[in-house]
Amino acid sequence: MLQQQTPPPATTPKGPPPPAARLARFLRRFVQRQPLGTVGAVIVGLLVLTALLAPLLAPYGPKQAEFDTYLPPGEGHLMGTDHLGRDILSRVIWGARLSLYVGLTSVALGITLGALWGMVTAYFGGWPDVLTQRLVDVLMGFPPIILALGLMAVLGQSVHNVIMALVILLTPTAARTMRSTVLGLKELAYVEAARAVGCSHWRVIFRHLVPNSLGTYIVLFTVNVAYAIVVEAALSFLGLGSPPDEPSWGGMLTAAMGSLERAPWIAFFPGLAISLVVFGLNLFGDAVRDVTDARLRGQMGGE
Amino acid sequence: MRRTQRALLGALLLVALLGGLPARAAEQPRYGGIVTWFDYADPARLDVHTESPLGVQQATAGVYSGLLQYDPENPSQIIADLAERWEASADGTVYTFHLRRGVQWHDGQPFSAADVQATFDRILAPDFRSPRCGSLLKPLVERVETVDDFTVRFHLKFPAATFIPSVASAWCRIAAKHILERDGNLQDPKSQIGTGPFRFKRYERGSLIEWERNPNYYDKRYPYVDGVVQYILKGAARQLAAAKAGKIMLWDTWPPMTRSQAEELKNARGDKIEIYVWPINTVWAVHLNTTRPPFDNPDLRLAVHLALNRQELFDKVFEGVGVPCAILDPKLYGDWALPMEEVKAMPGCRQPKTQDLEEAKRLVAKHYPNGLDIEVAVRSVGNYIDRVQLVVAQLRDIGIRGTIKTYESAAGYSVYGKGDFTVIGTQDTAMFLSDPSAPFAILFTSQAGRNWARHSDPLIDKLADEGLREQNRDKRREIYHRLQRHLLAGGNGTVIVGWVEGWFFRDKRLRNYHPANTVYDNNTFMKVWISK
Repeated sequence: MLQQQTPPPATTPKGPPPPAARLARFLRRFVQRQPLGTVGAVIVGLLVLTALLAPLLAPYGPKQAEFDTYLPPGEGHLMGTDHLGRDILSRVIWGARLSLYVGLTSVALGITLGALWGMVTAYFGGWPDVLTQRLVDVLMGFPPIILALGLMAVLGQSVHNVIMALVILLTPTAARTMRSTVLGLKELAYVEAARAVGCSHWRVIFRHLVPNSLGTYIVLFTVNVAYAIVVEAALSFLGLGSPPDEPSWGGMLTAAMGSLERAPWIAFFPGLAISLVVFGLNLFGDAVRDVTDARLRGQMGGE
Repeated sequence: MRRTQRALLGALLLVALLGGLPARAAEQPRYGGIVTWFDYADPARLDVHTESPLGVQQATAGVYSGLLQYDPENPSQIIADLAERWEASADGTVYTFHLRRGVQWHDGQPFSAADVQATFDRILAPDFRSPRCGSLLKPLVERVETVDDFTVRFHLKFPAATFIPSVASAWCRIAAKHILERDGNLQDPKSQIGTGPFRFKRYERGSLIEWERNPNYYDKRYPYVDGVVQYILKGAARQLAAAKAGKIMLWDTWPPMTRSQAEELKNARGDKIEIYVWPINTVWAVHLNTTRPPFDNPDLRLAVHLALNRQELFDKVFEGVGVPCAILDPKLYGDWALPMEEVKAMPGCRQPKTQDLEEAKRLVAKHYPNGLDIEVAVRSVGNYIDRVQLVVAQLRDIGIRGTIKTYESAAGYSVYGKGDFTVIGTQDTAMFLSDPSAPFAILFTSQAGRNWARHSDPLIDKLADEGLREQNRDKRREIYHRLQRHLLAGGNGTVIVGWVEGWFFRDKRLRNYHPANTVYDNNTFMKVWISK
């Protein structure tokens, strides 16, 4: 009887791990080597979740002013009520949505516009580069908060105008940073090679420069979200940001000014929220910079 | 003998005890020192004849004189100022004022009847916008006549009890003819040339206004102090901080402190200050622009009237003080005001609000089944931002979704004056006359200076005019009661929230200061002095 022999297992060549495994490995390494960044990421994650789930998480409407005023934190109102009888917890939760909306939208617009501006002018050089960089000099010459206040005074008080003011603030910084990155990149051999084989300018930009400057873009993005949230809070605190009944953390701080002695919790919780979120975003931003920075990548052991 | 000595000692003690207050009142006034107080906003424009904000009055009060004035030591009484005496004709339609001689303007020019004529020609000109003095006098005065260099005569349209109080109003100050001819108006600091006890010294926009003693003031006894500094302090937090730090000596003006702010201040300053509650003759209203949608529709105006929970607004903003819903404050106007029992029983004012809210929702849904979005204008001064948020929250309950648009003080007034708004979410109006006619003349008649709602109601105009002309007190009171009932029925563009009250303070070193019946009528500091 012919004994059936089990064929030896086929040896397949070892390929790259599936994307999920790669992501898991990246996250594992990120957690191991960037513990503070992980804390930041958790805080940012919580902020995003809070913002997305605000209607479900908030016990009351953020503008609902039908409770007793100055109730201390306790049962029914975990963070107390403010001077107009609104639930502070609900306003802090909805404030996360406003902060994230303002932060992400303004940074996405401002950094993207600035990055494209810096990239294109750096690549082509010549008089457009010189001219636009002088404009950047002018805009960067103004102290940011003064420029933002001036813009808000002209534009008027609304959430969308805050975003517009932030875009105008962020664009020059992003343009200048991206320009310096691209000035270095365009001298590299692979860019010269691409041009030598006849690639069009736009192909060089989008095929070679954009992917290779993505690290700079990501760092600009993460670092400036915190900045945008602080500027929005500052503008609202000064009475020139979001309309007063919008649940802005900065606006909540302003409203608390008159009752700091009597009801310190009105200022405490939005203040805590701003500090925590900015702390988290900065930790996260630093970690992202470390991961994307080629010079630091060896220390991180990144991909 | 010993009994006699004891009796004498007892009598002396009694006299000392009973005489404590008069002894203090008899304290000799002291010259020198600077009074410090504040303005809640930057006035920007300074023409007392054309502007209406309190800040304008405060900025210029000590610089000018009137024909008459409210006595700074007894503000209920009217005394002479540039007119040293006056008389009325038998029928009460002609008033003759005899002017003081030897008075000089701050630039050294002599004062005469020509200045009085120029002032009232300006104020009474039909096309001249004068929301304060003009509102008071235009309905009453037919013409002004110069009899000689120091005599002027006012011819009235009818005998009016409000004429002399109006002439004494701090808004009816006499301006120099040569300054009006030179500058065309009184808006700028350089135009602030008056005959008052103080000269206008300095105006730093957004920071301070300063007066200095006028050494040529016609009454050489006054003023006692060397000057007055008025800090421009925007926002309750800044005002309270200045008061706690002792930077200001007086808080007698709008906006009042709340109970908790007053307690905080008392804890900080202890017995160095005196704190008092005072109704400042000021009414809080919401103004609905009747010339544009949606409030050109009377149903929507009625809905707002019904929806506002005035009691809740006052409880939260003023911590329980104030008079919600009243068109006239009974505390200030006595029986001219409707009894509060009647007011509180009317739709819009009654509690609980359930029935009125249902009706308000129905009225809104009738025209806007999905509700409506509006912009709510507000000046960012005092505690208006807090108040407007509550108003907006209450209107949201009936389907009117408001977005708040804030304005800097002067810019807000400019927008209101042009009618470029849908709703003014909160605005106080201080009366400049302690007469029942005042709120109607200022807020409700077609020509009223603060009828920003541009609501024209022939019945209001008719009754307000009858109220001015009526000489019989009982009949006059009945006219004002009718007016109040008519307004409380709702539908007017100016929706009264109630009468403001609050806490104020005075540094105990500041002597001889007496709050007036309006916030405007004792701001000259002419007779105020500072003890050591």
